[in-house]
Amino acid sequence: MTVVVGYVPNELGEAALSAAIDEARRRGCDLVAVNTTRADRLVDPRYAQDAQAEALESRLEASGVPYAVRRFTSTELAADDVLTAATEVGAELIVIGLRHRSPVGKLLMGSTAQSVLLDAECSVLAVKLPRRR
Amino acid sequence: MTTTRQERPAERTVPVGELGFAGGVVALGVFALVRAGSINEPLTAGSMGPRALPYLVGGALVLSGLAVVAAVLRGHRGEAEHGEDVADDEHTDWRVVGMLVALFLVHVFLIIPAGWPVAATVLFSGSAVVLGAKPWWRAIVIGLLLALVLQASFAGGLGVSLPAGPLLEGVSFLRG
Amino acid sequence: MDSFFALMEGFGTALQPQYLFLALVGVFVGTAVGVLPGIGPAMTVALLLPLTYSLDPTGAFIMFAGIYYGGMYGGSTTSILLNTPGESASIITALEGNRMAKAGRGTAALATAAIGSFVAGTFATVGLTFVAPIAAEWAVKLGPVDYVALMILAFLTVGALLGSSIARGLASLSLGLFIGLIGVDQISGQQRFTFGVPVLGDGIDVVLVAVGLFAVGEALYVGSRLRKGPVEVVPISKGWRNWMTREELRLSWKPWLRGTAIGFPIGTIPAGGADVSTFLSYAAEKKLAKGERKEQFGHGAIEGVAGPESANNAAAAGVLVPLLTLGLPTSATAAIMLVVFQQYNIDPGPQLFSGNAALVWALIASLYIGNLMLLVLNLPLVGLWVRVLQIPRHYLYAGILTFAALGAFAVNRIPADVMILLVIGVIGFFMRRVGYPIAPMVVAMILGPMFEAQLRRALSISQGDPVTLVQSPFAVFVYAALGLVFALSLWLKRRERETEEVLEHLEDDELVSTDERSVRS
Repeated sequence: MTVVVGYVPNELGEAALSAAIDEARRRGCDLVAVNTTRADRLVDPRYAQDAQAEALESRLEASGVPYAVRRFTSTELAADDVLTAATEVGAELIVIGLRHRSPVGKLLMGSTAQSVLLDAECSVLAVKLPRRR
Repeated sequence: MTTTRQERPAERTVPVGELGFAGGVVALGVFALVRAGSINEPLTAGSMGPRALPYLVGGALVLSGLAVVAAVLRGHRGEAEHGEDVADDEHTDWRVVGMLVALFLVHVFLIIPAGWPVAATVLFSGSAVVLGAKPWWRAIVIGLLLALVLQASFAGGLGVSLPAGPLLEGVSFLRG
Repeated sequence: MDSFFALMEGFGTALQPQYLFLALVGVFVGTAVGVLPGIGPAMTVALLLPLTYSLDPTGAFIMFAGIYYGGMYGGSTTSILLNTPGESASIITALEGNRMAKAGRGTAALATAAIGSFVAGTFATVGLTFVAPIAAEWAVKLGPVDYVALMILAFLTVGALLGSSIARGLASLSLGLFIGLIGVDQISGQQRFTFGVPVLGDGIDVVLVAVGLFAVGEALYVGSRLRKGPVEVVPISKGWRNWMTREELRLSWKPWLRGTAIGFPIGTIPAGGADVSTFLSYAAEKKLAKGERKEQFGHGAIEGVAGPESANNAAAAGVLVPLLTLGLPTSATAAIMLVVFQQYNIDPGPQLFSGNAALVWALIASLYIGNLMLLVLNLPLVGLWVRVLQIPRHYLYAGILTFAALGAFAVNRIPADVMILLVIGVIGFFMRRVGYPIAPMVVAMILGPMFEAQLRRALSISQGDPVTLVQSPFAVFVYAALGLVFALSLWLKRRERETEEVLEHLEDDELVSTDERSVRS
């Protein structure tokens, strides 16, 4: 069995990754990190650049968990990429980061996390960052 | 790919588009020369009447068009423009161009019967989806918001009244 | 001294709160759009033309001046951070600036570009302040014959020198002249090329042509070949202390001044716009660099950012000299600024300084103010500009199409105008595809009717004798100058190409890493 984590190169993504590594260890299964971009803008901060991808791999390497990284340019939304990966590997758990959002922001921006939560065929672990004081 | 004016190797054998456009320029010139003769020239017009410049422009169109044709045939190919968002290697996606033009046409014919906000929503959301926006409903929400904001600010703030259309006629701040 | 007091009065106007606000909006919008991929200053000014329907002339010009300077400026931010220059004027900045950024000196590159633009903009505006009134005073004495000569100069230089091929430039020019002919002849009242369509009777509004070619044509063209793939932004170190070291400042100040000295005169002559001056400045800096610094070129030399950026901005101010004093646009953006004047029934030209003195001086004063605002605004807001780069392309170009349609409809509030806009946009799309320059068409469409009027006036004074056209000493001088400008421009173009070839060699190693990245991702 496998744990799939939707990775984003920021604080929240790192938190989700930590949780995913812990889960994979506890469950004794391997880990698939998914990071994609639709490549529809000049700058996409949610897509790991080369240096960040290397950092991700070395972190996974150090964790000792068997892992794979899926980082590619996709025509689909990030949520669909995570779900596709989960179906393909028959994931038993998906780990995602969940941001704080106001209702208006929610309406406009939609939410990757929401689609994953609604459409996943397995359990989903939503990781939150502690609110800043 | 940062330089803008590299020479591109001429790969396609017959530059149909280039010859077509240059031919169009020549044809327009011929047309201008022919039609210039039928412009009424008032007898009292003095030294230079309304026909003179049309003849000149027609001649310039023909000559420059022919010069381009000659240059293309000799292998001096025109070079498509470069830009930050233009992929150098991608081939032209005619479907996208066609859809954008079609949406623009729909927009033109919707302005009066449906009102500017509706027409603008169709244009914006449609173009965004054609250009790759996902999911489609978000493009519509953003398009609608943009159209309403523009309608309100032009009607209210700038004093340029756009037709609100039957659906929104009753909303006071959308009228100029 | 007269112009000094007039300038002070201009400041009095431009410093009023509502005009200060418009200047701020102008530089802000200008920079934001300049930063945005694919939107140049010409398109920005064209898209914002509808605003002229509700602003007073002074306010409109103050805002458009801000947009003009801001747009020049925003391009450098993008090229330093991303290494993807939009306008050819930014190629150099992209090369050296991006290397500096990768070496961790991005803040210094941005700072030297910002301060250099400020220095150049200010000195060039001072130049404008003193040169323009003198030129205008002298231009009042010109007769129709002289104007005919000047416009032929503008036609041929813009048509032949903007763009890579002379034949295509002249074809574009002729197309613009043809569009200018459509409608009822102003002198004889005869219909020309109206095809019996009533909408065409009044001629095609120049706003439609400008917006159609620059906005709709561009959006269709980009849509047809949309780039896929995000670009890496170089992280910028925060903090004031990190901006520029003493050493970098020492290396920068001379290129700033040299860039200004190169850029301003080139801007005033119709020799192909700002990008030529950046290449010349780069070549000069490289030649003047000594020893170790010379090695640095191609690896992130700060002189290679400071000089060309200053030259770019100084040229932008230089372009305003012929525009304000003679009514001659020498770049695409200047052509659209001319449209703004026409919207208010103001003829830029010698009469501008006597007839609309308050307006002109407020405009010039606002150039000083806008420059200062740009300096203050830009460095602290780099983070915001990076966010602007995150706007997805599909929304960006959908927005451009929508704004263009809005602008066209607002002209007369008839849908037929939007239809004409689309037709012109499709023409602009094909012109881009087959490599015709756009600017000559717009310039010709604007100047064409003025040219015809002056030509007919000249010939009716001489009762039809064409010899009159070469009898004025000034006209003869202009025709001689035309030859000179051509020779000079061809030389400049060759220099530009040589510099580009050098650049291409430098880029080879850069390309390898880019390819690697795209393969892996």
